[in-house]
Amino acid sequence: MSLNRPLSPHLSIHKKVLTAVFSIFHRFTGICLSIGALLLSAWIILIALGPDYYSKFEILSSLIFFKIFLFLWTLTIFYHLYNGIRYLFWSYGKMMDLNIVYKSGYAVIILSILSTMLVWIAV
Amino acid sequence: MKNYAAKWIWQRLTAVILIPLTFWFVYQCVLLSTYEYDQIKAFFFSKINASLFFILIISMLYHAKLGNETIVEDYVTSVNLKRVTKLTISTLTYLFMILTAISLFYIINS
Repeated sequence: MSLNRPLSPHLSIHKKVLTAVFSIFHRFTGICLSIGALLLSAWIILIALGPDYYSKFEILSSLIFFKIFLFLWTLTIFYHLYNGIRYLFWSYGKMMDLNIVYKSGYAVIILSILSTMLVWIAV
Repeated sequence: MKNYAAKWIWQRLTAVILIPLTFWFVYQCVLLSTYEYDQIKAFFFSKINASLFFILIISMLYHAKLGNETIVEDYVTSVNLKRVTKLTISTLTYLFMILTAISLFYIINS
């Protein structure tokens, strides 16, 4: 019975409105950050294992590829954070006026970029 | 667990915990990536830093588990695949939670 049930959100048949794009992107960044969380755990484990193991990570972290990866992680986590705050308000029925929904959406993008720049300038 | 109301609340509760910690955490992570091993060790010797890191990683892993399970619920129709995916998510989450806890405890006491 359950096998014939339709897929829940019909992503491909709808026009891509901004709110839907934000929602899809929230889930996509969520999946990426989950992998990031596992890598962070692995990093903590490497520190515990001692300097011999940690030096293996240092070979990786000295690459420019790693800097780009870390930069994208910063941007991703800030996007998920600010958009998540927006969704918390929605959970309580606040800020759901269509005009505010769009404005806060653009604010998420601007704040994510600004915060990312601020962190990298500060470091 | 079939209690979706509890999951919904925990998803938001972990989110609220993560909001203030993330600002501190992102900055520290980018900074720590430039540190030598001894400097990183020194950072974690601080009980406050280690505790905040612990709370953050555990909250983050649990928040991720709930989020990924929601995505699986929405898009995976095959009963078997759904079961396997959810089992994988749970196993990875709890395994990494335990390993992180042990590692942080070991770093503080070493």
